[in-house]
Amino acid sequence: MLKYSIKRVLLALLTAFIILSLTFFLVKSLGIKDTTMGSKEAVRFAFFSKQESLGFAISFDHPVSGYGKILAQFHYTDRSYYFYEKPLLDQYFAWLRNVFTKWDWGTSISIEPNVSAITIIAERLPTSLFLNVISVVISVPLGIGLGILAGLKKNTWIDHTISTLVMVFISIPSFVVISLMIYFFCFEAKILPTSWPTPDDTMQNKLLALIIPVVALSFGSVCGYTRFVRAELCEVMSSEYLLLARTKGLTKNQAITRHALKNAFVPILPAILAEFIGVFGGSMILEKLYGIPGIGDLYIRAIQESDYSVLMVDMAIFTTAGLLAGIVLDLSYGFIDPRIRMGEKNG
Amino acid sequence: MKKKTNDFELVENLPVECQDPEIKAEDFVLATQNEDIHEQRFVTKPTTFFKDSLKRFAKNKSSVVAAVILGILVLLGLVVPILTDSEARTPYNTSKGPEDTTSYMNLEPRLFTNAGGFWDGTVKKKHIPIDTSSPDESQWLPDPIYYKPSGISDMKISNVEYTNVANKFGRDGYLRIGYYGQYVDSLELTSSEFNDVKTQSGSIIEAYRLDLATTQLTIDKFETVDADKIRLYENNNEFDIPENVVLGKLGLNFNYSVFETVGGIQTLVDHEVTLIEPKVLHNTGTELSGYSDKDPINLNALIIEKTGLTTFENGHFILTVTAPEDAPEHANVISLIKNLNFSLNEDAPDMAKRYFLEDNGTDIPGISFNNAMTMASRTSTMTEILGTPKNIGFWAIPDLQRYVETVYLGKSRYADFTYDTYEGQLGVQYMDLPSSYIDDYAALDYLTYSISVTKTATGYVVNSFKMTIKDTKHCPIVDAVTIDDIYNVDKQSGKVIFQAHAKVYKYKVLGMTEMPSYLMGTDKTGRDMFKYTFEGLRNSLALGVLTFVICFAFGLVWGAICGYFGGTVDLIMERITDILAGLPWIVAMTLIVLKTNSRSFGTFLFALCITGWIGTAARTRTQFYRFRGREYVLASRTLGASDARLIAKHILPNSLGTIITGAVLMIPSVIFSEATISYLGLGFQDLASLGVILSNNQDELTSHPYQLIFPSIVIALLMISFNLFGNGLRDAINPSLKGEEE
Repeated sequence: MLKYSIKRVLLALLTAFIILSLTFFLVKSLGIKDTTMGSKEAVRFAFFSKQESLGFAISFDHPVSGYGKILAQFHYTDRSYYFYEKPLLDQYFAWLRNVFTKWDWGTSISIEPNVSAITIIAERLPTSLFLNVISVVISVPLGIGLGILAGLKKNTWIDHTISTLVMVFISIPSFVVISLMIYFFCFEAKILPTSWPTPDDTMQNKLLALIIPVVALSFGSVCGYTRFVRAELCEVMSSEYLLLARTKGLTKNQAITRHALKNAFVPILPAILAEFIGVFGGSMILEKLYGIPGIGDLYIRAIQESDYSVLMVDMAIFTTAGLLAGIVLDLSYGFIDPRIRMGEKNG
Repeated sequence: MKKKTNDFELVENLPVECQDPEIKAEDFVLATQNEDIHEQRFVTKPTTFFKDSLKRFAKNKSSVVAAVILGILVLLGLVVPILTDSEARTPYNTSKGPEDTTSYMNLEPRLFTNAGGFWDGTVKKKHIPIDTSSPDESQWLPDPIYYKPSGISDMKISNVEYTNVANKFGRDGYLRIGYYGQYVDSLELTSSEFNDVKTQSGSIIEAYRLDLATTQLTIDKFETVDADKIRLYENNNEFDIPENVVLGKLGLNFNYSVFETVGGIQTLVDHEVTLIEPKVLHNTGTELSGYSDKDPINLNALIIEKTGLTTFENGHFILTVTAPEDAPEHANVISLIKNLNFSLNEDAPDMAKRYFLEDNGTDIPGISFNNAMTMASRTSTMTEILGTPKNIGFWAIPDLQRYVETVYLGKSRYADFTYDTYEGQLGVQYMDLPSSYIDDYAALDYLTYSISVTKTATGYVVNSFKMTIKDTKHCPIVDAVTIDDIYNVDKQSGKVIFQAHAKVYKYKVLGMTEMPSYLMGTDKTGRDMFKYTFEGLRNSLALGVLTFVICFAFGLVWGAICGYFGGTVDLIMERITDILAGLPWIVAMTLIVLKTNSRSFGTFLFALCITGWIGTAARTRTQFYRFRGREYVLASRTLGASDARLIAKHILPNSLGTIITGAVLMIPSVIFSEATISYLGLGFQDLASLGVILSNNQDELTSHPYQLIFPSIVIALLMISFNLFGNGLRDAINPSLKGEEE
């Protein structure tokens, strides 16, 4: 088991590396996006010089062939500069060198010009993390509780009410729900702030501003858990071993707590653990709509403003979080249910 | 055999009084005395797994209902876009004028006629400012640009005259009209008209700016104000706000004008404010905190009819709107400023008559420029979707100042009324009709007319004009035709080319014989929402189903191999899955869209399939892990079953329920993904989908909620039916539930 775990972690790191390399190639194949078009010449020159020092571009004092199209040219009294894009592989190795030797993931070109991408992410990660942790802490017990309730009271009015509500809420797109909430609570009733507060806002405002994001983030996962737990529980409840437990003389409660729940939680627990790893991601739509300075919002801005360095780091975080969640999901199956032997050869 | 023995015993052991002595053993004849007894076929019909599932599915009432609804939706999605008559909008005779989309814009849904406001194409309007400039009270009507008189009924004018309109209805805001100085080209004004002006006046544009911001400026509190909402002026020149400057040291002067009562007459008085107390400004790039004016200026007198031009000579004035306790909805800030007009001299050059709209590109009803024309508009960003008037700016072109005749804020009277959008936009209206229209109507035998003109030195003069309407049912012209202008007389035919002003039925002019009726209303571009929504549904469904088919087939095979064989095969295949799964779908989609530079159906199908099959594969794999070590599999293997048989006959049926539940839900999740990416601005380009419709109509939430409600209902109905259907399917197919009676 330990050997398998180590193997999985190492493989995950390798996977992350491959994904990021792949992403790098895909993003870089879009070409160097000249976001300084129309700016002053000094600004443009600084931009291309930066690209050169990052190893993505190369400059000559005369036009050369073999590097494709000229990106930009500058003429000064002492010399001329002709900038070309380097070949993709050269750029890739330069990027690897920067990341592994200097931990330099590049600098932002449009979101916060000339600030390192890592800094930008580090500024925004805590906000997303904070919101996600709160919503997970609220939604997991709530979801599981409702799910157990619905599963145990199967086909009663309680179950029907819960299932119907879950079905309705899971079915309406999140942006419709969020914008309706903002409309009704912020603009109509005016009890909640209309957007994310600034750092020097009052404590009351800051707390009130948490409500919409947390509710919006929790909705989905509460519904998801409720449904998942109910489905698993219903399946377990109809199994033979539960019937056996009852015939042995266990009360219904004993049978449920000792047999049904334990078995039902085999697929549920890993999902919860994975959810906790998932807090590193940010909800793009919510952050966009509510003006939350998190990494989800940053991601969209990075795409819109073609800020590829920031985009790469953002993707790296999403990817790593996802992969870690996957490992936890897989490994915990083995820990929780000894009947499942992960990674072993069949037969 | 044993039972028979018992029967005999039973008879033998019967109490004596029950034994019938009359019946002897010989009386009994064995039914199958001399027959060969063979094994017999089952009398009951054999049932298949599928039939059994179907029977169980049919028992689940809610799933059946969901399946029916789903079927209806699919059918509607296929049928409605084809059958709905889209030709109604094209005039039957194209020479009769251009396609007039504004007449079809934002028509409310109509199913009934005169149902008291419910689904009958009318909308109740409240607190709409009305124009009270006419002495005749019956002429007090809302702006005819937005509300045509023919659609208005049950109007109740609230006669409250607010003396402090801005304070009463404003919400934490300020209004400022200011000399913007040299306009730096930092806004993305894309209109070609704007470029015209740019070239005409060189790269530097002098502009005036009128701001309405919802952030309060007060001296008491240090409010945080968005830096882009504040422009600092010194000697009429704007300067950038440097980092952490001390304003007082700059000796910053503010000029403003306020309305004050001088000798009983309200006039604008110029003030000059110098910031004495140093205030530190922190400019963090996006926000500016610590801004403070010397004293907040409250404009209490808004019933000013006319004021002079002085306002603009010294720069700008700032109007602070403080938040009242009982401020109504924010939208009123906009509607109230309606009464602020800029009147331009008739002889002002066209350059001066131009202004542009900043912000969300819609004409802001609050502010009008008489004799001016809209020049360009900037599209809104997504954060402003709910319609908050965060920053509304008007930019006026050089020399506007010289041509501004009056700046006045009028009385605020409101009206509550019922507005029939159909009657208003397509009902009886006054229209300028070119004579070619009238000729066409004459050719169709709707009317006859005669006109005679004489030529004078300055132009043509009408001698006589006579019109008789023959076909009142079809003729668009109701009555009252006056000749506006005579352009020319065709020398050969003697035909007079003129323009008439006529009372018409708009819908008849547009080529319809009766008033149209849109079940779900129309959107802001005049599209029929009913047709558009189902077109979107069809495309969304097609995308969902195609993605499902491709991903399910691929994922099932992949997951089965992975989960069943385990070991190295699993590890290698899982790496590939990991790599693709590690690529979030939104990343994959973005990269593919950016790379292919296309936003067509195929691109999205491809992008969704790239990562879409992983869910099914993972689920299949987990289920296979769960079941492959079970005893019945081992038993089967011991009996010599092959791998293929074990997979297909033993593990798959057991795991299929869970896999299918997840996989069927892939269709709604694909529709969700597509809606999400549309909402983020990367959706289909020329194709309707539910996501595209919802995100397009997002900013109509406050003004025309039906445009969001109908597609939302359709998407919610679709999702609910899919989910119920999926669950029903799972319960039906999952063999572990077999035989369970509910």
